[in-house]
Amino acid sequence: MPAHEQTLQSLMRHQSAARVRRWRPDSALWLLCLPALLIITPFLVACLYMLRFSVSADTGSINGFSLQAYAELAQPYFLRSLWLTLKLAASSTVIVLMLAVPLAMVIVTTRSASWRRLMTVVVLLPMILNLLIQSYGWILLLGPAGVINTTLLQLGMVERPLILLFNEKGVLLGLVQTSLPLAVFPLMSSMRAVSQEYLEAASGLGASHWRSFVDITLPLLKPGLIGAGSIVFAFNASAFAVPLLLGGRRVRMLGLAIRDMISPLFNWSGAAAGGMVLILIITLVLVLSTWLVSRSDVRGGS
Amino acid sequence: MGIDLRIAGVSKHFGEFQALKGIDLDIEQGSFVCLLGPSGCGKTTLLRIIAGFERASAGQLLLNGSDISAVPPHKRDFGMVFQSLALFPHMSVAENIAYGLKFRGVTGVKRDDRVAELLDVISLPAIADRPVSSLSGGQRQRVAIARALAVQPRLFLLDEPLSALDAQLRDAMQIELRQLQQQFGVTTILVTHDQTEAMMLADKLVVMKGGEVCQQGAPQEIYSQPATAFTAQFLGASNILDAIASDQGIVQLFGADTVFSTEEAPGTALKLSVRAENVILDRAPHPSGGPCAEVEFIRNLGASTEILVKNGATTVRVRLSSRDSILRTLAIGERVALQFDPEGCVVFRADAD
Repeated sequence: MPAHEQTLQSLMRHQSAARVRRWRPDSALWLLCLPALLIITPFLVACLYMLRFSVSADTGSINGFSLQAYAELAQPYFLRSLWLTLKLAASSTVIVLMLAVPLAMVIVTTRSASWRRLMTVVVLLPMILNLLIQSYGWILLLGPAGVINTTLLQLGMVERPLILLFNEKGVLLGLVQTSLPLAVFPLMSSMRAVSQEYLEAASGLGASHWRSFVDITLPLLKPGLIGAGSIVFAFNASAFAVPLLLGGRRVRMLGLAIRDMISPLFNWSGAAAGGMVLILIITLVLVLSTWLVSRSDVRGGS
Repeated sequence: MGIDLRIAGVSKHFGEFQALKGIDLDIEQGSFVCLLGPSGCGKTTLLRIIAGFERASAGQLLLNGSDISAVPPHKRDFGMVFQSLALFPHMSVAENIAYGLKFRGVTGVKRDDRVAELLDVISLPAIADRPVSSLSGGQRQRVAIARALAVQPRLFLLDEPLSALDAQLRDAMQIELRQLQQQFGVTTILVTHDQTEAMMLADKLVVMKGGEVCQQGAPQEIYSQPATAFTAQFLGASNILDAIASDQGIVQLFGADTVFSTEEAPGTALKLSVRAENVILDRAPHPSGGPCAEVEFIRNLGASTEILVKNGATTVRVRLSSRDSILRTLAIGERVALQFDPEGCVVFRADAD
């Protein structure tokens, strides 16, 4: 039975027994959740609207039922885009996790509180800055007329500007940079559960730093790794600003492909179907990671 | 027996704070040494330096004559039991116990045999495959000890391992721990703030205070001959009374002569350490004179009876056998004479520390 029904029933029991109208704390809590639920509702409605549009027989309006839009997605144009999205999201996730684990470990184990705060702020900074500003920053640094290319040209080390951006590598770089804080914070909180004494115990029993990292830290970080990984994957799979600005339209991730269907092509049902595919992929990843976490919990016996 | 570990002039600074001030200590082969002291006395820091988790700021650790100060902990071959036990939560009991074995080339059947042997030793043969989170406090304790002993360590180190257990279980574990140590014949260093535990376990007691060793020796010796009022109090002397040296070289308490003599100059401030069970109460006034006090509180605890007597602002705690004949008529407010059993009493200079 859903929690709110239980609450309702117990509320009714309570009222008939005491014949006094009184707020139970949990029903008051539901009331406080109402504004948040109201804010989420338009999004859910939009999703349903999109779902309906994706099975419309007409590309420009909701009219009849057809799976035509989904069938039309099976074109090299869209499949390449899908493959590219999965590839970039997955590889950026792996890279971000590899970068974030040592960062989280260092921040959590730093003894000085002021150093810890400073490092936290530095890691957090990209989350406060607008994605546009971050991307323009990369263009200023790596673009054809950017700092690096200008320097290399002036030093005579290259004859033509290197193409550091407007390709997959540039987009990958941007995805990694913008999503790094999303991984560091969940990892920090699960790193706190890895007591320093576990590592000391392992080292006392003969484990080198590397062995205790592999045998103790990584397994205990697993829920954090899975959580951080799925957040980063979902964030980067749906990336729009980064591939737009750093990919220079040459790296057509799903977000861009969907936008192109709408803007120059006016293929609304196609865009909706593409959006549904994107939502489905991300949902699958989240479900899979939740399942992985719950499985590792069972093994831990807690 | 030879010296196993020699701690020579070990100091430790944490920034401005000096946690250890030149500790010298010899640990004999096969002995059970307890580092005893209040929190902040440096006992845990010393143990962590021995284990290799902290580096000493100065001094040396000599294991069998060779300096191990710079050897990292995973190469020291010591077994440590932590206060939190630090059992690996993602491993089963058997995996925990077997963890140190894989670094010693013990694998396969040999490893399983060793794990089974240790589970037998700690009398928990059936829990090998259980996750550690499903164990009770006492079981976790035993598993942590087994994990440390499985690797046949050169030194067995324990940091307040029993402090999380309830009193009854702690008592049983103390006896078990002592028996295990004897069975394995392993040189053992245990840190505790509990004097009963230290007395129960140690061959050698090291009392620490403020980063220094106050006194070391056999437990019975320290118990009966504490060198300072601090040690006396820490080892459970319930009364540390202000006294004074009289002109005749007698220790005076509450302005009256006691049976103790002193060599200190007349007028020197002294402290008289008396255990509650070493005070004898008599009807006042006593034919031989001596200090008196007024009964303030009486409580029969079965075998013994606790009495508080008061003179001025000073309260003296007395523990009599409940069969003591004076108790039959003793009443609150009554004046009694205090006699002392010299066996359990020690006189210090008040300025000695």
